Amino acid sequence: MKQSIVRRILVVISLLLLLLVSVGGAIAQEPVTITWWTLASAESPEPAIRAVVEAFEAEHPNIKIDVTIMAESAYGDLMNTAIGAGEGAPDIAYFWEAPWLPHTLDITDHLEADPDLSRDDYFEEYFNNWAVWNDRVVGLPFTVGANFVMYNKDVFDEAGVDYPSADWTPWDYIEIAKALTDPDKRRWGGDRPRGPFRAVWRNIGATKPYSDDSTTVEGYINGEDSVAAYTWLWDLVDSGATPTPADIEVLGTEGTGPVDLFIAGRLGMATLNNGHMITAANAEVNFGIVPEPHVPGNERFVHAWALRASIWAGTEHPDEAYEFLSFWAGPEGQRINMEIGALMPSLPSVLEDYPDAEADYFQGFLGVLNATQTAEWRATHPCWRGAVIRAVSDAWDLIMLGEIERDEVQATLDGLVEPAQAALDECVPRLGG
Amino acid sequence: MRTEPEQAPAALSIQRQLRRSAARRRVIRAMGHVLVYALMISLALLFMLPIFWMASTSLKMPREIFAWPPEWIPSEPQWGNYAEAFGKYPLARYMLNSAILVIANIIGGLVSVPIIAYGFARFEFPFKHALFLLMLSTMMVPGHIKLIPLFWLYQKLGLVDTYWPLILPAFFGNPFFIFLMTQFIRTIPRDLDDAARIDGAGAWGILYRIIIPLSRPALTVVVVFTFVWVWNDFLEPIIFLRDWNSYPISVGLAFFQGRYSVEWHLFMGATLVSIIPILVVYFFAQRHLIGGLASIGIKG
Repeated sequence: MKQSIVRRILVVISLLLLLLVSVGGAIAQEPVTITWWTLASAESPEPAIRAVVEAFEAEHPNIKIDVTIMAESAYGDLMNTAIGAGEGAPDIAYFWEAPWLPHTLDITDHLEADPDLSRDDYFEEYFNNWAVWNDRVVGLPFTVGANFVMYNKDVFDEAGVDYPSADWTPWDYIEIAKALTDPDKRRWGGDRPRGPFRAVWRNIGATKPYSDDSTTVEGYINGEDSVAAYTWLWDLVDSGATPTPADIEVLGTEGTGPVDLFIAGRLGMATLNNGHMITAANAEVNFGIVPEPHVPGNERFVHAWALRASIWAGTEHPDEAYEFLSFWAGPEGQRINMEIGALMPSLPSVLEDYPDAEADYFQGFLGVLNATQTAEWRATHPCWRGAVIRAVSDAWDLIMLGEIERDEVQATLDGLVEPAQAALDECVPRLGG
Repeated sequence: MRTEPEQAPAALSIQRQLRRSAARRRVIRAMGHVLVYALMISLALLFMLPIFWMASTSLKMPREIFAWPPEWIPSEPQWGNYAEAFGKYPLARYMLNSAILVIANIIGGLVSVPIIAYGFARFEFPFKHALFLLMLSTMMVPGHIKLIPLFWLYQKLGLVDTYWPLILPAFFGNPFFIFLMTQFIRTIPRDLDDAARIDGAGAWGILYRIIIPLSRPALTVVVVFTFVWVWNDFLEPIIFLRDWNSYPISVGLAFFQGRYSVEWHLFMGATLVSIIPILVVYFFAQRHLIGGLASIGIKG
């Protein structure tokens, strides 16, 4: 009798356990939805985005991706609103603005535990400068971008000028630009830089606007190398071989570079990027690529960037979000975007399979990827973009508008030391050195 | 005293002088007309220039767009640009979405604005002037400031990624339209209200039988302005909509502005098509619109 009761109890318990396991199993199989905000672009068009979602969901049936595809011009407003509201931000998005960084999830542990992906899979400088913030891994670098000089071979041939080579100097640039300029055809030889202390500045003399420890402006912004770089800019503007700021404002494209003027054959050379390179190739422009000019013997710098693909710190599903992030910004996702769109992946192992890898322009682009990035210093000195650049903008504007003489460059820069130092001193406690 | 034959030449001379001066006046008036028309035609052509550039660009290849000298009429028009633009993004769907939003907002405006304006114009109630000022003061608040609280609110209500955040506000009255309509209703003689009241009409009857029919110019302004504002609205749709197929045309056009370049030839083609509904509405409503604005300006 007793045995029978015990047996019955055991049967009931077994049944209950079975029920619990089956219910638990059903709950575990309930798919998790990850929200993802992204942009449709030539590099990563809508079909490529859909293909990434489809491929990921096929591999991970327990994770659903709710994707929002938006226009570039809409993205910043939407992210600012969602982050400002404190809720409604996506699990995964590009967190490219510095103020958004504190809202990213630290994925250092996830990446270290990942058997299929590591930081070594990416271009080292791109990973260090765009995925790491305050010694934390806050995202994965999606795609690579870099500036270089594109030259229109037809314009060079017509003017009888030799194509530039990688060992050219900033002063060669001015001379070539002058030789290509033809006012009758409304054609300029080359464009102007879009800001100080980018590649040419660093290439002239490793120039920095202030000391590495973010304490001193004197001797940097007005130092010998800086004066040489600003004087080079003065010479370029004075040559008349470049469009004026007004020309660029009217005829330029979205502030990223005068690619339309270049495509139209009205600019012999232009400092553009790999996105523009694809645009020019699609427009069947006969062009070549060289790194930005530098001074022989000096280290060569490149102005480069990546899109920081990150997880929102407020996500309720960090593990599933990482699963998707590592797929999208990992080899599979970037390969899909490269094959369907025109993405330049940030993983060398994928980039080497680029469909147009044999083209001269692509080889030229590869040549600039390994130079030291200006972002190396910029990323660790947020006060440059955050405050000091505004304090020194007078020199830039005065030269761009032709308002000062060549021998006034030094005095103009001397006059900026005090406001720049004040801006730096105010900023460092706020944003760090 | 002058004789008859002496008077006749003088009268004839005066008549001739009068005729000459009348002819001179006619010539001057005609010349004035010619000048005015020439000026107006010149200005019209000048204002049409951007639209002409848009049409011209929409038929060019990318390398021709900024070429010098500019080619106003492309030698080989690329009609395929239109097909490419509409094939690349679901622009027809986006135009339909815009039309839905426009119609819903117009209905909202036509329902709410007359009722609220009628209240302010015809009734006395506590704090009426303070409430009117409060309503007017909301016009001074920049739209961007309201975005985060609105986003938070609609997120809490579960209305993000629906059309409700873009439609609901219209049903609570736009302060600018309420102000316009209130001023307009104040110009309608109260005697008409009294006559209707004697005939047995209540407040609602007066509104729908007297005020609204007489407010057609002001209501036209509400309709046309709502149409243009909602059709062109970009910021709110990008904040509240998520679904690829639910965007309005204003957002759809922005897809042609990429991270590094603008597909001008496709962008201009799509934009040209997208402004056709606005031109059509303006064409049919311009008389009422100008009349409506003028009457509000004079009588208000």
